[in-house]
Formats: sequence, C-alpha cells, structure tokens
Amino acid sequence: MDEKFDCIIVGAGIAGLAAAMTLARNNMKFLLIEKGEFAGSKNVSGGVLWGSDLAKLVPEYWKEEDGGWERFINHRRLTFMDDQSTFSIDFKSSHFNETPYSGVVVLRSKFDRWLAGKVQDAIDESDYAMESFIATNIKVDEILMEDDKAVGIRTGEEEFHADSVIISEGVNNLLTRQVGLQDDYVPADHMLTGIKEVIRYDQKVLEDRFQLNGLSGMSNEFVGFATDGVEGGGFLYTNRDTISLGLVAGIKDMREKEKSPHDLLNTFKAHPVIQDTIQGGEVVEYSAHVVSSGDKRAMPKEVYKDGVLLCGESANLLMNAGKAIQGMDYAMRSGILGAETIIKAKERDDFTSNTLSEYKQALEDSYVMKDINSFQDAVHMLHNPTMYQDVPNLICDFGRKFFTIDSKPTKKSREMMKESIKEHSSYWDLMKIGFKGAKSL
Amino acid sequence: MKSLDLTERLGLVSYRNQAKSDIKPHIEVDTDICNSTCPHKCTTYVCPANCYTMDEDGQVHFQVEDCIECGTCMYACDQGAVDWNYPDPEIGRGVTWNFG
Ligand SMILES: Cc1cc2nc3c(=O)[nH]c(=O)nc-3n(C[C@H](O)[C@H](O)[C@H](O)COP(=O)(O)OP(=O)(O)OC[C@H]3O[C@@H](n4cnc5c(N)ncnc54)[C@H](O)[C@@H]3O)c2cc1C
Ligand code: SF4
Ligand code: SF4
Repeated sequence: MDEKFDCIIVGAGIAGLAAAMTLARNNMKFLLIEKGEFAGSKNVSGGVLWGSDLAKLVPEYWKEEDGGWERFINHRRLTFMDDQSTFSIDFKSSHFNETPYSGVVVLRSKFDRWLAGKVQDAIDESDYAMESFIATNIKVDEILMEDDKAVGIRTGEEEFHADSVIISEGVNNLLTRQVGLQDDYVPADHMLTGIKEVIRYDQKVLEDRFQLNGLSGMSNEFVGFATDGVEGGGFLYTNRDTISLGLVAGIKDMREKEKSPHDLLNTFKAHPVIQDTIQGGEVVEYSAHVVSSGDKRAMPKEVYKDGVLLCGESANLLMNAGKAIQGMDYAMRSGILGAETIIKAKERDDFTSNTLSEYKQALEDSYVMKDINSFQDAVHMLHNPTMYQDVPNLICDFGRKFFTIDSKPTKKSREMMKESIKEHSSYWDLMKIGFKGAKSL
Repeated sequence: MKSLDLTERLGLVSYRNQAKSDIKPHIEVDTDICNSTCPHKCTTYVCPANCYTMDEDGQVHFQVEDCIECGTCMYACDQGAVDWNYPDPEIGRGVTWNFG
C-alpha cells in the first residue's frame, strides 16, 4: 500500500481507541494497529475507569442495554489491614447514581472491544469510511524514522507510511524506547506488577453480598497486610456477576524481599476478612500485567518528537496515590489531546515538534499532569514502609482496642491511640509522615 | 474459598497458537548470565507464570510457553539477561484474555 495516512496509531488500548475516535470524528485518515486478536484481548486492569470522558467519546453510553462496562461506582471503601483485622473508611452516596457516572468498572477484554466497535461506527460515518482502518493481529516491529522524524511503521516485511504516529502501546513501551524517548532499560524502582483473579458468583449472591442495586457497584482499595510488607496495595471491584480481586506490588521490593506475586495474592485471599468477603466464588481467570507507579522519575524524557506523540501509559501517565489507581482515565484524556494535536498539525501541514509540542502543553494544562505534578509527594509517601506497614497496623490495633468491650475499665481513646502508636511506630516517624501527608494531599 | 496453585491458575489462561508445536519464543534469556554472575536470580520468584525455574543444582532455566506477557521480568532483571519482546501473532504464543 503506498497510500499515506494522516496518522498511524499503535495499540488499541484505551489511549489508542480514544485517539482513534477523535480522529474519526474529525475526518482524518488513519490506521489503528493492534497486535491482539481483537482490541482488549491483551489488556489487564483492575479496573475502574474514573472520570467522565467516556461520555464524551460515547455520548449516553449508559443507555445502552449491554454496553461494554460492568457497573457504575456509588460505593467506595478504603481499607487498612493488619494480619487479622480491617479498618475501613466507607462512603456510599446516591449522588453517584447520576449520569454521567464518575466511575465505571470495566473488564478490558469486553470493554476495549466494545469501544473499538464504536470507533468503527465513527469511521463508517467519516469521509474516510473506506480508507481508515482498525487492523488487529498485527504487531508493529519498528517505527520508521527519517532524519529523526517518524514517517510510518514496519511490521514484518511490510511498511505503512503516515505524516504522524501516535504511540499508545502501554507501559511495556518498546517502541517508545526505539524512538529514543525512553532508556532501553527501565529499572524496577518505580514499576509494579498488577496481579488479579476474576471470581464468579451467582449474580443474586453477588448483589446481596455487596448491597448492589441494579447496576451499582463498589470499589475497595486495601493498604497494609494486603501486600505482606511489599510496597503496593490491594483492590476489589464488583462486575456484573464477578469480582476483580488483586494486588499491585513493587517489583524492586519483591526482588529484595524475595516475594512472589502469586504467593502474595494467596496470602491476601487467605486473610480472615477477605476470606469471608469472597467465599463461595469460582475463579474464572488469573492475570497479571505491569503497571507504573505515577512517579515522575519513571516517565519518558519527552512525550513528543518530530512526527510522533506518546499517549497513555506508554508515557507512564498514571496516578496511584492510595485511594485509586488512575491509568485508564489518563490514557483516555491523553489520547483525545494527542489526536486533537494531530488534527491541528494537519491543518497547518506541520507535523514537526513545532506543532506537536502543543500536545505537551495541553497535557500540562489538563487535570492529568496537574494531578501528577501536585500529588508526587503522595506517590512517594505510599512507597514509604511507615505508610504501607506501620500506619495500617497502628490503625487496626487502635480499632481493636476501640471496639473491644471486655468487662474491664475502658481507657479513653486518646490513651488507646498513644499505646497503638508506641507499639507500631514512633511519634517521630508519624510526625514526618503526617507533615508530608498534610502537604501532599 | 480454596486457594489455587499456579498450575491451576495458568490452566484458566487462554493461550494463542496452542495447537502449534513449533512456536517462536518472544523472550530470550541469556541463562549464562543467570548461572554465573546474577546475585539474586529474582525472576525465578517474581514471574507470575513461573517461566523461570531453578533446578536442584541451582541452575536457572527459562521456558516461554506459559508466559502471560506481563512484562515483570523486563524490569526485574537488572543483569541484562532478558531480551524482551511481544509474541508474534502468527507464530508466537502469548495470551488472549477472556476478562482482562
Ligand atoms: C492489575 C492492574 C490494575 C489496574 N487498575 C486500574 C484501575 O482500577 N483504574 C485505572 O484507571 N487504571 C488501572 N490500571 C492501569 C491501566 O490498566 C492502564 O494505565 C491502562 O490500561 C493504560 O492504557 P493504555 O491505552 O495506555 O495502554 P494499554 O491498555 O496497555 O494498551 C496498549 C495496547 O497497545 C497494544 N500494543 C502494544 N505494543 C504494540 C505493538 N508493537 N503493535 C501493536 N499493538 C501493540 C497492546 O496490545 C494494547 O492493546 C491497572 C493496571 C493493572 C495492571
Ligand atoms: S534476574 Fe536476570 S540474570 Fe538473574 S536469573 Fe533472572 S533473568 Fe537471569
Ligand atoms: S513477561 Fe511476565 S509472564 Fe512472561 S516471562 Fe516475563 S515475568 Fe514471566
């Protein structure tokens, strides 16, 4: 094919699909390439897609009988755990029942495929209905560079040419490295392994157990014993008739503490409180995928160069500051912003850094980089053992004292707190954390 | 709920090109490095599909067949032994998630 595209998008994950939708709606001629059998077939998340950008891509998606999503979140819980106990902050509100929802749980194999169908619809309605494509089962081996400007891609022996390339290949960003935007070896320091099981129940059992109503759902994050001394945390999200239960665990920390992610997951599942929560289910899938931490030190040197943009987690755009993992919504927003920049570049017929640098500015002006920038301290704090070990232990110990009624004189809660702190941490460590925490949140 | 061991878990994964006996490995490991200078041999425990194993003599071996393409070993190996890539859709193995 010697036809030249306006843009080639590598990877039909959230970022690539959002970019493709935006290009299709603006009558651009593009090629979206995905190595999986279908969009989503290679992708793993927890996962809650936070925010409301989905409604921009697929207006009124909630009206569809069987849209690609599982449940909307109106119940959130943050749980601290020690080896025996859990202490939760729990918030549920009918405020979250209103559309557009502020978070929907998704299973990627279904969600991405559904979204790809919507992109195909948009292509069909565009001026390039016969000249824009979603091509699956194709792995991009190389970004073609001429004078350090991207001019297309190579797969096997075949080459496809374009004025621009959007790299939305996800966290394991081989092509980002090939074009020189990221070092060839990325150390384990700010990378985590996400590991999970999808566990099935009778739908009625699931709805009763988690107090779900219609398509409402719950998200629960865990800090502390969940990862057995390894930095990271746990999650439980409700799908239609399954739950997603898993962990994210620091790779460097596992290396140093000689821990296996699959053993950690079993330890988490064997926790007495988790055992009660998940009993009676049947595991239907086991999966794992690397996820970045949101630490800026792991980010590529730049998010653009001549002819090329990085969207989504290929640029390590992610935030995990304890109360939620945000990777999919960042991917979606950055895909949209990337495509908008490509549209401008086409108008100006300038695909060099001159125009493409506007993508970086748009990202900086959006909530994505604003949040990443302002919550760096919170991200660092989560990697502090005081935070993922001592604090959860202390909170649970306090909880045990506070809720124990054992026919002995009861101490004032201030006393209880003092004792718990003495046992699990020091005032000094907490002062440091508290001081940082107050600043960072 | 009973915990599953890794074999049971991997039994739930849908792999591609399962019928092909002759697949092209997408990851190459220089096990000479593993078995000479590597101080921790961490991939033998951080790989969630147990593709890196250690035999009774402490020798590290790599088998790509069960790999779920997570990427962990690419970061975990700081010894330069892992040459990591995605599987080829036609002649590689790799996964197709049913849920994801
Ligand atoms: C266990 C776990 C839990 C998570 N929980 C959450 C959560 O609750 N909420 C949240 O927002 N985020 C969560 N995340 C993070 C989230 O999954 C990612 O940030 C998000 O998927 C990034 O989207 P993306 O489009 O950038 O990349 P991806 O979704 O990884 O998509 C990249 C796509 O590119 C394709 N591709 C890559 N290379 C090539 C190539 N060479 N040729 C062709 N195609 C290629 C891939 O097959 C894939 O389809 C979680 C991650 C994990 C692992
Ligand atoms: S960490 Fe690298 S060098 Fe060490 S055993 Fe694993 S693959 Fe081999
Ligand atoms: S990519 Fe993941 S599953 Fe595959 S060998 Fe590496 S660590 Fe194991």
